Amino acid sequence: MANVQPAVISAGFCEHASKRSDVNMAELVNEAVEDCLNKAGSVEWKDIDYVINGNMPAFEGANMPELWMTDHMAAKNKPLLRVTTGGTTGGSVFVSGYYAVASGLYDMVLAVAFEQQSCGNTTVGLASVALGELSIYPSLGYEATRLRRNMGAGAAIGVASYQAMNYMRRSKATEEDLARVVVQNRRNAAKNWWTHLKMPTITIEDVLDTPYISYPLRFGMVCPASDGACAVLFTTEEKAKQIADVPVYINGVGSYANEPAIIGVDCGGAGQTDPCEQLGAVKSAELAYSQAGISFPNKEIDYAEVYSPFPNQELQWVERVGLFEPNSAPEAYLNGVTALNGEMPVNCSGGVNSTNAIGASAMERPAESALQIMGKAGNQVPKTVHTALGHGWGGAINLISHVVMADEPQRKFK
Amino acid sequence: MTLNIDEEQDVSVTKGMIRAEFNFWVGIVMDKFYDGLQEKKFIGTKCSKCGKVFLPPRNRCGDCFAKAEDFIDLPETGILKNFTVTTYKISERKTRNVKKDQIVGLVQIDGADSAMVVPVININPEDLKIGMKLKVVWAKNIKGDPNDIAGFEPIGGV
Amino acid sequence: MDKVAIVGFYQVKPGLDLMMSPYEMLFEATRGALDHAGLKRDDLSTVIGCNNDYYDGKTISNCFKVEAGGAYMKDESKVEMDGAHAVMYGLMRILSGNHKLAMVYGISAPSCFPYESVRILETDPTFDRPINLLNGYTAGGMQMRAYLNAFGLSEEDIAKVAVYNLKNAAKNPLAIPEAQKTNITVDEVLNSEMLSAPLKKLMYPILCDGVTALILAPERQARKITDKPVWITGVGHFNDTYYLGDRDLSSCSSMEKAAEKAYKIAGINNPKSEINVAELFGHTACEDLILAEAAGLADKGKGLSLIDTGKLNPSGGTMAGYTPAANGLTRIVEAVKQIRGEAEGHQISGANKAIASGQVGFCAQNNIVYVLEGGE
Ligand SMILES: [Zn+2]
Repeated sequence: MANVQPAVISAGFCEHASKRSDVNMAELVNEAVEDCLNKAGSVEWKDIDYVINGNMPAFEGANMPELWMTDHMAAKNKPLLRVTTGGTTGGSVFVSGYYAVASGLYDMVLAVAFEQQSCGNTTVGLASVALGELSIYPSLGYEATRLRRNMGAGAAIGVASYQAMNYMRRSKATEEDLARVVVQNRRNAAKNWWTHLKMPTITIEDVLDTPYISYPLRFGMVCPASDGACAVLFTTEEKAKQIADVPVYINGVGSYANEPAIIGVDCGGAGQTDPCEQLGAVKSAELAYSQAGISFPNKEIDYAEVYSPFPNQELQWVERVGLFEPNSAPEAYLNGVTALNGEMPVNCSGGVNSTNAIGASAMERPAESALQIMGKAGNQVPKTVHTALGHGWGGAINLISHVVMADEPQRKFK
Repeated sequence: MTLNIDEEQDVSVTKGMIRAEFNFWVGIVMDKFYDGLQEKKFIGTKCSKCGKVFLPPRNRCGDCFAKAEDFIDLPETGILKNFTVTTYKISERKTRNVKKDQIVGLVQIDGADSAMVVPVININPEDLKIGMKLKVVWAKNIKGDPNDIAGFEPIGGV
Repeated sequence: MDKVAIVGFYQVKPGLDLMMSPYEMLFEATRGALDHAGLKRDDLSTVIGCNNDYYDGKTISNCFKVEAGGAYMKDESKVEMDGAHAVMYGLMRILSGNHKLAMVYGISAPSCFPYESVRILETDPTFDRPINLLNGYTAGGMQMRAYLNAFGLSEEDIAKVAVYNLKNAAKNPLAIPEAQKTNITVDEVLNSEMLSAPLKKLMYPILCDGVTALILAPERQARKITDKPVWITGVGHFNDTYYLGDRDLSSCSSMEKAAEKAYKIAGINNPKSEINVAELFGHTACEDLILAEAAGLADKGKGLSLIDTGKLNPSGGTMAGYTPAANGLTRIVEAVKQIRGEAEGHQISGANKAIASGQVGFCAQNNIVYVLEGGE
């Protein structure tokens, strides 16, 4: 239990799209920061005493871009920290926002995560997750001409298809089950103002009609590449009570690291042989729940946002973080348990499957969960949300962020 | 791409280059600035709160965190705030000593509160003085990008 | 601020090219820090790394540093700035009460990447990058000119600082041999190659491969782990605007604010007399003076007097060998060694209160400074 109880008082977004060519990176970030401050009641930018930011560094070809974007993220003459952990970046930035307040050093902390993917070449960026270790391939007997194919395996779609195969083998999930997840996400996205792929009438057949990208994942199941930014304001319990109508208390955080999957260190073999096992996510969730005093996540959590660019991941994560029994998620989705008006709504924001501004995505998960607790989400669930979680993953599916939030501070848990 | 493993040194060297193109959207206010360059004109922005004028323009003032989206035409003349002389050319790929003096100036356009890092030309390095008046020299081929600024030269020679 | 101590540390002996894989280097450092503190990896509860994807030439390079960094199945994260910034995150995690033992490391291998070119990627892509004149050399040159002009100093004065740093490096066993110059003279510095007038080559640090790691613990644990805890009693962190034209380059306002905050937390009223040692991350010999003045160790324009006292960068500072992403951590570790009385060859006698700093950005845009104290 943290010495100081951190709370979220506001979350802001910019409009996400495949190409936000109307703004540069600094202006894109600024939109989210302004939106966040506008929704933060009496808080002015001058009250902010710590700023944390992050994005996926290699995608835009800009190193530490926050340095030139300082003036646009309200960080001039304030401390500015950069936290980046690949796809997990947004979640890691969120967690560091929590720690900045929990440490007692700062009491009004702005966290910003962003990505303007249309500036760069994301596939090259992702391929280089594997490419750094490329040189070892010839010694393993690979021909140079086959390297291209390996690059494909190293990039996210490759990892995800292995994950999907493993998950489908375990759970007997079908392609239709995967398509169902996509349909739920994209229909939800249509009702949330800032999202990218809005498809209010999409059907399972529509998804299954698209060609395979990498079996069993079809084109219609893959997340888009988006431009976007998200900003969240953290403060102490005392200040949050004065400022916000419904302060959202962060009661548990976990960010365990596993060994890299698929592409091990120096290609010395995969650390994780089954990339859908996800011990890091299980342990991160356990830590966060124990901090938050949650013993039965499947009963005590009212709402969840998990990081799932691909539909199989959504099924896998909701199980790993303890919301459903192993291999039972496909059935839950079939029965509408995870729908907007279900018992355990998941990703009502539309999820990463509908909008993926990579650096921002893992922050948008807890940010949307916080908004659901506040009752201010773009696609608000009808039931009252008391406790919600926001999950993120990144790296070679080995880095995790897991945040548990509630409308009551943690010590008051019965 | 070629791969080359040097076994004697027990180190692997990967040669060749992976091309990754980056296109930075210039954004709301720089777009206008680029348009201005096309017409050989400097367009800056003004902070809606403190009135500071920025060139190159920014759409937010760092001191006030207020909008700076009011455009303002600025002259072609300014002063040299600071300078340095280097023979090095550092690109995104490598650092080279081109053995030729290049003067890098921090030039504040008259009426602006910010300054830009630009080339200073048509002057010997020893004649440079902080505070001296300069005037822009436009490139021969105007393309509507920052390199339309060929440099700044002293007004009326030295 | 609750007391947090540095209870163990390790610096891999840096070199121009260590001929080691990053994971070997990193493992040596993290294992070394644990051994130094007499701890096991199991004792750690959190790990904060510091590296930079552009320096490593690899997207999400930290995801492969999990095992060697000691972070497997640990609550971990990564800061992409200077190592000193990563210590801030580690400190926050300890102060929160959630964690009892934090490992912080910083790593890079400039033998494998063109550092000056990578710095171009830090510039504003809508103006400075197409113009392509703002870089580490030219920013250093303009900063030095601003400093000399503001206080009527000469290039010789900065050369004296470079000589002082390089002579100090000669006494530091962990400085790179290329920087250890016992007999260097002011003339040699002034006659060295011009990087960007008036900045000379010998006023600029030499890049080297390296890793530095340290371990943080709260008071109760720290007292059990070591007899010589070094306490972080104050910390300040500030960021200035990017635009050089908006800043007074002859001073450093972000360092001034950071130091002021750190002193306030540590209860230091007179840094000039109270601080015995300052290990500051200046990117050039000139910046060392600017930062020392901004930290209140000397009056503005009078930083040169510090080299007579010997309390500025006794290790040689950044000039002893510069490892991006680790340098700030190395500064902290050097200050810790001084307080523990373990700075072989360059010990300042009676050192008990020190400051150490880290930075990123052109002309020290973003500074973080720690006050470190020994004793109870
Ligand atoms: Zn203003």
